[in-house]
Amino acid sequence: MLTNVKLGKTLRSVSIVGIGATPFFNAQENETYHGLTNGELFGYAALDAMKDAGVEPRDVQFFFHGTANPGVLEKCITPNLQVADWFGMRGKGSLSHSEGCCTGYIALEEAMMAVASGMYDIVLTGACDMGTGMPDGNTPSFMRIPLSTEVLFPDLDSIFDRAYGRYLGGGPGMNHDDWINYYANENGLTEDQIDDVLCHQAYHFRRAGALCPRAIRRTPFEELAKEAGYDDVWEYMKSPYNPKVTQYLRTASDSCVADGAAACIVVPTEIAKQFNAKPIEVIGCGASVLDAIVPHLEKKATAEAARQVYEQTGLTPDDIDLLYVNDFIGSSAFLAAEEVGYLPKGEGWKYVLDGRIAFDGDKPMNTNGGRTSYGHAFGASGMADIFEAVTQMRGDAGERQVKKLPKHTFLRGFGGAQNVRAIILESNF
Amino acid sequence: MSTERMKAEEFWNREHIVEKFWKGLADGVIYARKCKECGAIEFPPHIACNTCGYHETEWTTLSGKATLKSFVRTGILNARLELEDRGLKYVCGEVQFEEGPAINAVILGISKKKAKEVREKLPVAVRPVFFDMGRYTTLFFELDE
Repeated sequence: MLTNVKLGKTLRSVSIVGIGATPFFNAQENETYHGLTNGELFGYAALDAMKDAGVEPRDVQFFFHGTANPGVLEKCITPNLQVADWFGMRGKGSLSHSEGCCTGYIALEEAMMAVASGMYDIVLTGACDMGTGMPDGNTPSFMRIPLSTEVLFPDLDSIFDRAYGRYLGGGPGMNHDDWINYYANENGLTEDQIDDVLCHQAYHFRRAGALCPRAIRRTPFEELAKEAGYDDVWEYMKSPYNPKVTQYLRTASDSCVADGAAACIVVPTEIAKQFNAKPIEVIGCGASVLDAIVPHLEKKATAEAARQVYEQTGLTPDDIDLLYVNDFIGSSAFLAAEEVGYLPKGEGWKYVLDGRIAFDGDKPMNTNGGRTSYGHAFGASGMADIFEAVTQMRGDAGERQVKKLPKHTFLRGFGGAQNVRAIILESNF
Repeated sequence: MSTERMKAEEFWNREHIVEKFWKGLADGVIYARKCKECGAIEFPPHIACNTCGYHETEWTTLSGKATLKSFVRTGILNARLELEDRGLKYVCGEVQFEEGPAINAVILGISKKKAKEVREKLPVAVRPVFFDMGRYTTLFFELDE
């Protein structure tokens, strides 16, 4: 792969002035949410973001709608036009996009470019996925049934290259454990040591999730251990209640599929304070995409996207105060933290064991609990990370507020086998 | 790059690269492309070079001699269903051809017990297996012991 992309300076600076998000939940099991639809969820998140920015739908000029898999999850092709009426944007320009689990991060990149170019001044961007269910045939959208493994598993192949990759070795098999296996070999760590690290990481992310009202899994592992008859939470974490689902990952390090939406309002920085006293500037976004047939693709694409955004912003890893990593593969969290320089190379696993990556540690990350606790509504998860990042940077995260108010936050998006984005936000107040 | 554009009749007579690759596997031949500028091997074959970014490659073949550099076992979350359905023992790993390119690949015939033994010996030689999947033949590997 080539690594010769040099990002330019945008025509104008861009800031986030409004954020909105629904909780992440299971609409198939929770009667409170059962029957809600993509248009309603996206609409509630969009209107929440507009309210936060102090604007009405009439003020917004363009919107982006992201969803990971509109074909299977919504039985539609152009969801943007099907959701526009729900938040008062009938007749305005919009765009659908779909990049698997990286969709929510790319949603911000799209809005950034739309405003930075000078084309639009007030843009809404968001993502919504209802990952627990699927349409009940060709019926109105409130009629949904559980997403069955018979439908989901064969369809997952759709994200892998159909010309070659999925039929050679680029499909499932390597994508979950390739990087952690590489890391274990490189650093001389045993499978048992990796197991300890991943259990600790899941434990600390759950501590944050327990304090996050929008998270789907909020029961601390100590409580789950007691319910299962274990006095020692670490014994529970390695028990049949938390079985291995790959060579390295247990269920606690696997994402919890959910339904949900998140959105934000993006404007030129020069007028941002008209909308919000605490604007968050989007100062850079690096990008790299590699198909799943490429060995160690997540490590390579993360390194390249990070290189681009550091070069674009002139920042170094030492400038980063807070990190979000799409961790639907649990091990990605601390591995990506090392790759972008947030944790020292070869030492990240020790930071995890010592709890330093927890929301109350000195290297906080995934303060909403990450995919394993906050939940994973596929395309919406990245935008939910942006919602949490802005919340933390404003100092509004309550009990899970990080100790040092972040000046710079780094977000590593990943998904769709695999798109990678590296975004840096800067507080501008 | 030449400024001469492709003629319509030329475009509509382009090579079917994907089709040739898969038909090659059915005949026991591993097709690849070679960059006309830097000489890097493009595998699986594509039109342009992903090593140097040059626009033109030409056909070549690979010997099949390769090395298994690392691998993982699969579990319930990341199993390859088409192999599980056939009751095959396998692992997934990084395989590098002697001509240079490396890909994620399937290596057949490695049980959990065997995996432990192989892991100690990495990197190890592997050889191609042209595996009949019914409607097409694919490329897997096995230990070259």
